[in-house]
Amino acid sequence: MAGPSMLPTLDNSGELVLESILPHRLFPNQLGRGELITLTSPVDPSRIICKRVIGLPGDVVCVDPTGLKAHSTEHVLVPKGHIWVAGDNAAWSKDSRDYGPVSMALVRGRIAARIYPLNRFTVFSKNATYIEH
Amino acid sequence: MSLFSKFLKLSGRPLTSRRIHSATDPEGSSRRTWALIGRPLRWIYWLPLGLGFTQYFYTLKTVRGRSMQPTLNPDTSSWDDIVIFDRYSINSGEPIRKGDIVALQDPINSRKMLVKRVVAVAGDIVKTLPPYPDAEVFIPEGHVWVEGDEPFRTLDSNKFGPVPLALLDSKLMYIVWPLDRIGPLRPPISPVSKRGASRDFRWYSDMAAFEREQRRQSRVTTRSTTTSHS
Repeated sequence: MAGPSMLPTLDNSGELVLESILPHRLFPNQLGRGELITLTSPVDPSRIICKRVIGLPGDVVCVDPTGLKAHSTEHVLVPKGHIWVAGDNAAWSKDSRDYGPVSMALVRGRIAARIYPLNRFTVFSKNATYIEH
Repeated sequence: MSLFSKFLKLSGRPLTSRRIHSATDPEGSSRRTWALIGRPLRWIYWLPLGLGFTQYFYTLKTVRGRSMQPTLNPDTSSWDDIVIFDRYSINSGEPIRKGDIVALQDPINSRKMLVKRVVAVAGDIVKTLPPYPDAEVFIPEGHVWVEGDEPFRTLDSNKFGPVPLALLDSKLMYIVWPLDRIGPLRPPISPVSKRGASRDFRWYSDMAAFEREQRRQSRVTTRSTTTSHS
């Protein structure tokens, strides 16, 4: 892994993660909100990026709650076949706030676990906990 | 040893000697069985090479649908076109040029493959056609604008917007069938009629293709022309 866009979940450099590709190839429509996924960058087809799924097709997503790249009240409807992705480190992440909803055809797989360094071994689960009002 | 001579050897011996032969030579009998069933299975040896070739170099596919008429599948043809797709140029990172016909994954339904023409690349401004909400679109970096040659019945960028380059799968380079349109796909250029020769059907269809290309490109402003005006 390289890059600061997923801090503090994933470090800037020096980490190894396990990427699980086959389940997504077999069942491409089973993406959950809050899952860590790998996808081919819509801006540069030779790069693979890792982001978190925020919105599924049909969801209305707040574009930027931090107000950095868009006004914090701006919302967008995610079109069919697309998802809204965001990096955990909002200040240092180029994600759907810059390039809009990305097509699900670009998704490669999900990050299953971090395997190095060994003292920070974590398995990333697919289920997100929703906070109800 | 050929299959035929082996069969002759087997059938020529009397029963007792054949049984003795197989009792003392167990590997010989398995070799014979393998020779009988192995020959038709030899193609499996070439399978990885064949799969690798079609995935990374060139592949032959049929084009279905009417969205690229009259370039592909025109109404005058009773069969779907069979074409050669070039995956090597996309994989080797060759830049996609305007006017190329490409096969891409449908951004909305990733299982479908679409065949469309690249009308504008990153940095261009396109005047869009009806289903698209905005009248003009700036193509962002890493994206292309694809349109079908038949504007009425096509699922293209006028419905789903600019397409990221990662979704492009291959370039169309050669039509193999039907035979009257066999040949490489060339960008439409203004046909030159020989002096004194009457303009025939081929001249008219080349001219029509050229005019369609001009009309498509009239809706696109490339990056270089916009900077020259500023």
